[in-house]
Amino acid sequence: MTPQGKLLTAVIGLTALGGGLAAYKSHKLGVPFWQGERVDEWLVEAKVSFLATGKQVKARLSLPTDAVRKGSGQESGSLGYHYDEEENQDEYTAVWSAREREDTQALYYRVRFKQGLASGGEPRPALEKPAAPDVPKLPGSLGAAAQNIVNQAKSVSADPDSLFVALFRQINDASSSQEYVLVKRHYEKEAVVNPNIAMGIDLLGLAGIPARLAYGVRLSDENAGQAPIPLLEYYDGAFWKVRDPLEPSKLPDGREMFVWHRGGGPLLEVSGGVENSRVTFTVAKDRIPLATLTDLRDSPFLISTILALPVSERAVFRYIVLIPLGAFVVVIMRNLIGVPTLGTFMPVLLALALLEIAPLKAILMFSILVGAGLWFRFLLSRMNLLVVPRVAACVVIVTLLMMLMGVVSFQLGFSVGIKITLFPMIIIAWTLERMSLIWEEEGKRSALVQVTGSMVVAVCAYYFMNVSQIQYWAFYFPEMLLILLAGILLIGRYTGYRLSELIRFKTFKNA
Amino acid sequence: MPDAAEKTAAEDTGERWWHRWFRTPRELRELGVVGINMRNARFLLPNNPRRLYDLVDNKLRTKALAEAEGMKVAETYGVLLSPHDANRVEKFVEGRDAFVIKPTRGSGGKGIMVIDKRAGKNFVKPSGAEVTPGDLKNHVSNILAGLFSLGGKRDYALIEYRVQPAKLLTALSFQGAPDIRVVMLHGYPVMAMLRASTKESDGRSNLHQGAVGIGIDIATGMTVRAIHHGKPITEHPDLGIGLIGVQIPDWDTILHMAVTCQLMTGLGYLGVDIMIDETLGPLMIEVNARPGLAIQMANGIGLLRRLEPVVAQHLKHPTADLEAKIAFSKKHFRAKLPPARD
Repeated sequence: MTPQGKLLTAVIGLTALGGGLAAYKSHKLGVPFWQGERVDEWLVEAKVSFLATGKQVKARLSLPTDAVRKGSGQESGSLGYHYDEEENQDEYTAVWSAREREDTQALYYRVRFKQGLASGGEPRPALEKPAAPDVPKLPGSLGAAAQNIVNQAKSVSADPDSLFVALFRQINDASSSQEYVLVKRHYEKEAVVNPNIAMGIDLLGLAGIPARLAYGVRLSDENAGQAPIPLLEYYDGAFWKVRDPLEPSKLPDGREMFVWHRGGGPLLEVSGGVENSRVTFTVAKDRIPLATLTDLRDSPFLISTILALPVSERAVFRYIVLIPLGAFVVVIMRNLIGVPTLGTFMPVLLALALLEIAPLKAILMFSILVGAGLWFRFLLSRMNLLVVPRVAACVVIVTLLMMLMGVVSFQLGFSVGIKITLFPMIIIAWTLERMSLIWEEEGKRSALVQVTGSMVVAVCAYYFMNVSQIQYWAFYFPEMLLILLAGILLIGRYTGYRLSELIRFKTFKNA
Repeated sequence: MPDAAEKTAAEDTGERWWHRWFRTPRELRELGVVGINMRNARFLLPNNPRRLYDLVDNKLRTKALAEAEGMKVAETYGVLLSPHDANRVEKFVEGRDAFVIKPTRGSGGKGIMVIDKRAGKNFVKPSGAEVTPGDLKNHVSNILAGLFSLGGKRDYALIEYRVQPAKLLTALSFQGAPDIRVVMLHGYPVMAMLRASTKESDGRSNLHQGAVGIGIDIATGMTVRAIHHGKPITEHPDLGIGLIGVQIPDWDTILHMAVTCQLMTGLGYLGVDIMIDETLGPLMIEVNARPGLAIQMANGIGLLRRLEPVVAQHLKHPTADLEAKIAFSKKHFRAKLPPARD
């Protein structure tokens, strides 16, 4: 294979690998590609509160199965209570128990889940076929009326779904037929909590469709402490389905409703010396912290392991991943534009230093330090010192100058001065040495041109590395550095003119 | 509005408004100008294997190779290897009035100290500045510490014969000794120039420090063109002496030396620096594995126009001998000679 072929293969391979990994992470793992792209999550908190009367207390709260099973960040707060989670036939229950509690008690259970995910009210296959529903015992004419209603509804519907819709449309309708009013009044008189739903369950039972209560939470962060919304779960012959009796024709929407409890049984059960027990829900929309979202420990790709590191270790990488970006800028500035610099990668280190301090102040400080250091360096050169001691002396002087600058700027009220200790001192000392050498060997013009060139490249690299979108990509999509690498390889084979050469050879004429 | 005569004149020379500021890449390509990227990617990297660099970066090795080939080089007076030697530097130059101290691994003329004569205990540089024995020791210590060497490696100091440049050439230079640079590809001399210092360049022969570059015709050894800071000139900026049409003495010897250097180092693309001594004739000074591009400005010819025929010729006759290569270069790279100097 020709060198060109090899290069092309490498470039295409690297681009495909880097781009593919980034696309996978963005599309499959849900890491937002653009910084600031919101990924929201809902935080639903169930609060069980009751008044304890000094006796043993046991509270059981039914939990959303899917959320518990996925382990989506549930947590329970229950000071002084013994907490346990029970599983029974795919249904999870939180159990709190304590001895001798008094006063108002509050127990919490929180669930987080990504916005737009399923509501938890999806059709669920029955583990075993439910027993035929009990036929409700309605006295005399009421029984006939109920039977009439069911027959009527059955005649206009084809399956349990449409029967459900037909029945609840009538139930919700204020101006429905005499029979409805009659039956409805009965249930209202019976003083059930939700007469309409109780009536619906009985009517569905009359039609041979098992139905039971479920509870949901409305996903809106406007009303804190909302009561659970009663929903209906019915069996259509194969699946248990959940619908809101108030909107019978609408399937539960994951953006509006989260089904907390299904599978029959009570939502909350409190036993012992307890009064006034109730459960309320508070919903909050929360931006998912990227750290959580990008916790890709499970991901099979090694390249993602940077995000699997503890946070403190990651902070180091925040700077390290920027170095390749700076190197890329240096390659462009040197090989395509042709800016002369002191050393090849000194500008990258300078740019990293600029990230620490505001660039204008940093350049000012750098100039002062280099200027003063250079002056001392020339004083030293008069003493005819050997090279290594001379560089060491430069380091000492630069250190003292930095301290001096730090103190002076602190006294003047610039807190920035303190940060200068992070300024890479060795770089400055080395720059001094290099610069003074060039000063002596090639003249001050060369020295100033190269130092200025280094500063220009460093500032360009700084502005490039300081683009927050680019920092974001470098940190969250480090595999994109492979694309950068491909770009550098391409520039490595660039044989065209540098921008500076167009000027250098401007007087070129054929002899 | 420029007047009509001026306008037509501008059109005649192909001058465009932007030539005052830059030339387009396309124009440069048409002129065959080689840029640094092209030099590196197309000529340096494929032809100069890394392992051969030390042969030319270390002047001691280069000189040893050249002497084995029977080539004339500046006589070595001594090599200073340690700080101990540095303290005894005066012993090494005992009985010598003129000498040169240089790092064995220096580049671009860095760290070279030329001494012309003595004045009492002190030494005198060509510029007339005096150097005390202490300064001399200090300079040697700097060399030994690697201050001037490539990559700052520890280095040795070389004391050698101070070339007494031929009168003909010193006449073209403001102080300093002019040297001749021959650039070669695959052993074919492609371009040559003479570098003469000016007041501005302070005895140095680096063109970007203000030295004058004088193009030499490969076929005849006659100077054909001169530039100062990229602009064509005909007279030395300080001396006012005509620079064009000067015959370089011993031109054939110089070409032979250059090609021999290529054969002995094995580098494909290189520049050979040669000085002409008044009494000894041409002496090989150093070989450069990364010769610069100013030579094409001095000759007014894009390097590519000469490198491409050589690449083709080398493919056709990979085993051509020294004479055949020189003959090819002389035949194909003959310059349009300007009128001889009067």
